[in-house]
Parts: sequence; C-alpha cells; structure tokens
Amino acid sequence: MSEFLAMGGYGKYLWPAFALGFGIIVLIYVSAVSSLANAKQQARRRLETQS
Amino acid sequence: MNWTWFHRFGSPPWVYGFAARWAPWFGGAALLAMLIALYGGLVLAPPDYQQKDAFRIVYIHAPSATMSLAVYSTMAIAAAVGLIWRMKVAHAAAAACAPIGAWFTVATLGTGMLWGKPMWGAYWVWDPRLTSELVLLFLYLGYMGLRAGIEDSQKADKASAMLAIVGAVNVPIIKYSVNWWNSLHQPPSRLLGEADMVWSMVWPLLLMLLAFFLYFGAVLLIRLRAELLRRERNASWVREALS
Repeated sequence: MSEFLAMGGYGKYLWPAFALGFGIIVLIYVSAVSSLANAKQQARRRLETQS
Repeated sequence: MNWTWFHRFGSPPWVYGFAARWAPWFGGAALLAMLIALYGGLVLAPPDYQQKDAFRIVYIHAPSATMSLAVYSTMAIAAAVGLIWRMKVAHAAAAACAPIGAWFTVATLGTGMLWGKPMWGAYWVWDPRLTSELVLLFLYLGYMGLRAGIEDSQKADKASAMLAIVGAVNVPIIKYSVNWWNSLHQPPSRLLGEADMVWSMVWPLLLMLLAFFLYFGAVLLIRLRAELLRRERNASWVREALS
C-alpha cells in the first residue's frame, strides 16, 4: 500500500493533482445543485407573494 | 429531414423537464465511468518508460483540459445560436456553461502545474500552451463579469454572446499552440490507430474523457434548470413545474 501511495517518488505531485481535480469536480456539482435550489426558492417566494 | 425535435429545445418548459429527467442518468453514468477509469489509470496501467508514475496525472489533467476547451466551444456555439435565432434557452445554456468551464480551466492549470514541477523543474513557465490556457480562464471570468455587470438580461445576453464568440479564436490557438510554436508542453498523444501508448494506458484515459463529458452533461442540465427558472420567473409554466 505504501508503495502504491509513494507512486515511485511522484506521490507528492500526483495525489495533490488528483485531490485538486476531483475536489473541483465535487465543487462544480455542489455549486450547480445549490444554484438550482436557490433559483427554486426564489421562484417559490415570488409565486407566494403573487398569490 | 424532420427538425421538430430541434424546435423543442427552444421551449423553456420542455427543456426544464428534459433536464430534470436526464441529469441523474448522465451523473450516474459519469460516476461509474470515473471510478472504473480511476482504477484502470492508477492500478492497472503500467508506469511510463520516461515519466514513470508521474504520467498518471494525465488521467485528471487531459480530461480537464479537453473539457475546458469543449465547454468554451459549447458556450460560444450556444451564444451564437442565441444571437442568430434569438433563442432564450441558448443564451441560458451559454450562461450555464461559463462557471463550469472556468472551474475546468482552473483544474487544468493546477494539475498541469503539479505535472510540470517534476517534469520541467518549474510549476509555471510562460509557454504558449500554458499562457493561452490562462487567457481562456480570463475569457471565462470576463464573460461572467460582463453578465453580472449588466442588469438588463437581454443586453447582458447580447454583450456576453459577442465576447464568447470573439473569444472562441483562442480555442484553436490553445489546441495547436504546441504545433505552431516551440513549446515545453508535450504534443498531443495519438490514442487510437497507431497509438503512442499501450492499450492498458489508453482505455482508462478514453473512459475518463467519456466520464467528464457525461459529467459536464449532468451539471450543465442542472445549471440550465436554475437559469431557466431565474429567467422565466413570470411565466405560467414555472408555477406548474414547482408544484
């Protein structure tokens, strides 16, 4: 396992690269879902004030 | 040829429903493909004969870089469709693309820096590929800044569409920068036919590329729904969609 994590001495570059890349993947998804939730909430509020 | 299927994409309620139905499928398929590709790239693929295990950064860097260009191209095409056919859904799609593309560009630059250090001895060099990719990030930020700075949504659509279309000139510059100028960045690898890599290295990369495209489809559809709700807040279909 430690050999796998060391990645032939390149682990200190490889793992941060994957953490950054997949961290951004998660961030894009979370921000998209929260943007939709906000838009729904705003639309519902508007409909409530209209009715 | 029957084009009625295309006309449906001009209808906000139809697109809203379509996006709600398909986003989970795209997301699920992307997650599955990413996990298999990660296992293939990190465990099954052999180390490169020159770059050793550092080459495995390609499995996150190359798909991010491809998406940074593909998302910009999608944004520019959607902006052009919005301008030419005055299609509100196309402008909404272009607006939805921008933050996704900007983050993919950040991922490209960040992972590239972490690959550059062990290979070139520096995190950053003012190389044509790196510099043009940085310009792409500024174009995304400029597009989002321009939209945010104009209150009238129709004017914002037009102005930002013009910027997206003009900025598209940077896409071929990024793609061919390694061929046109002397570059530290390696030229593109052939993945099919007479491939530059063995198949056990290639399939995880192709699968990861597919996963990123599916993932882009999923998050674009989610963001598109949010954009349509904001733009169509006074339309009757919004009440039905939220009930």
